[in-house]
Amino acid sequence: MLEKLKSQFGDAIESAEQIGRELRVQIAARSLVGAARLAKDEGFAYLADITAMDTNEALRVVYRLASLSTGHHLVASILVPRSGARLPSLTPVFRGAEWPEREVYDMFGIRFDGHPHMQRILLTDDWEGYPLLKTWQAR
Amino acid sequence: MTQALTPTETMILNMGPQHPSTHGVLRLQLTLDGEVVLDCKPVIGYLHRGVEKIGEARTYPQILPYTDRLDYLSSASNNLAYVQAVEKLMGVEVPERAKYLRVILLELNRIASHLMFVATFANDLAATTVFLYGLREREPIMDMFEMWTGARLTQSAMRVGGLGWDIPDGFVAKAREYCVFLPPRLDEYDRLLSGNRIFRVRTEGIGILPPEEAIDCGCSGPTLRGSGVKYDLRRDEPYEVYDQLDYDVITASTCDCMGRYVVRMAEMRQSLRIIEQCLDRLPEGDVIAKVPRAIRPQAGEAYGRVESPRGDFGCWVVSDGGPQPARVRFRAPSFYNLAALPRMLRGWKIGDVVAILGSIDIVLGEVDR
Repeated sequence: MLEKLKSQFGDAIESAEQIGRELRVQIAARSLVGAARLAKDEGFAYLADITAMDTNEALRVVYRLASLSTGHHLVASILVPRSGARLPSLTPVFRGAEWPEREVYDMFGIRFDGHPHMQRILLTDDWEGYPLLKTWQAR
Repeated sequence: MTQALTPTETMILNMGPQHPSTHGVLRLQLTLDGEVVLDCKPVIGYLHRGVEKIGEARTYPQILPYTDRLDYLSSASNNLAYVQAVEKLMGVEVPERAKYLRVILLELNRIASHLMFVATFANDLAATTVFLYGLREREPIMDMFEMWTGARLTQSAMRVGGLGWDIPDGFVAKAREYCVFLPPRLDEYDRLLSGNRIFRVRTEGIGILPPEEAIDCGCSGPTLRGSGVKYDLRRDEPYEVYDQLDYDVITASTCDCMGRYVVRMAEMRQSLRIIEQCLDRLPEGDVIAKVPRAIRPQAGEAYGRVESPRGDFGCWVVSDGGPQPARVRFRAPSFYNLAALPRMLRGWKIGDVVAILGSIDIVLGEVDR
């Protein structure tokens, strides 16, 4: 899988490491949709989760794909700026991406281009701020 | 002829957030053309408590009780996904006895949860008798949990490295008794429901979810297996001692409400098989490994993954080496299963909404977190 990703996307694969059955890669945002399509064709057909975390320097969006037959995971991370970030939506590749992408927007403020309903999901529409940013303080 | 020219209008109907069949606080915004559902927009978040944010301000042991309250019908699975992730980060090896006891707790929890499903699903379809029977049969399991952990629902029995308590005297006998007690009761439900014409008409061929769509939407658990996809984390990514036990992964090829019901009914019998094997093989020894009092995993990240009664329950923990995690993320199966609901509802009658929603067996506590 890693060889295929590297041959097709070259230096867009910024780092990679295999830990047990988990392949962790860091990729550039421009190759996200292409890499997701390739992964899906290679058997990583199940979108286990999309989430993010605030590392203080940047936001790290994490995509976890699983293979239903081998039990292997592909964990792809993308680093984006802490405010005003945009990423292409994975909904054309995985329909299941719709809700988790909305949740990432809700909690971190990252917008997904091409998403059918880019709105808040767990919080109310008039909520201010993005609670899972480390700078957000509970009142 | 005049009838064909009469213009019709679509109507928006809000079902919930206070509706007896939404099993919690959920609003379904239904677009209707007469009785036919054209579209459905689930509106969630009414139970959002910000567990992931809270987790960043709590120590590792303090987070455990919060996980109970996600999917409150199967707290053991949530507990385990979280402690599994922390154990992976710390490299803790769990004692054999604790592994077997964990499986017993998980499977009892699965039966309790599926009984609740059968009870409420039947009740949604107006079979109130089965509702009462289901809760009655669930009661002995609640008593066993209380006897073991002191709590009926929110057990918090898992610990990093094992379990909080060993089983009390008399527990094994009670569990064995239950394994004999339940199967005839399940046969009775089968006669009451699977053999009931009204129940069949309302579930067979209703709410079709094709296997490719189920996978594409990230569905898991009985919702996925009810669409004929043989995927069960107990078999496919085994944890604890599941790889040493003998049981079947149940699927149904009908992809409808009936299929999802059949899978859960059969899974209860498999859970009993698992519990019996664990009781037979239960080794002696400690139930918790030696773990430092202050839990401070080294910097890194780990993912715990458990087949909960509702499906793939994941927990992602990122540590920066401090006493509190830098990030805790809960991947709730009901969240993904509910996202697929509009696909199952489109084209069906409004009377089927309750049946289809009931068949995916969501718990809003884990949807909203």
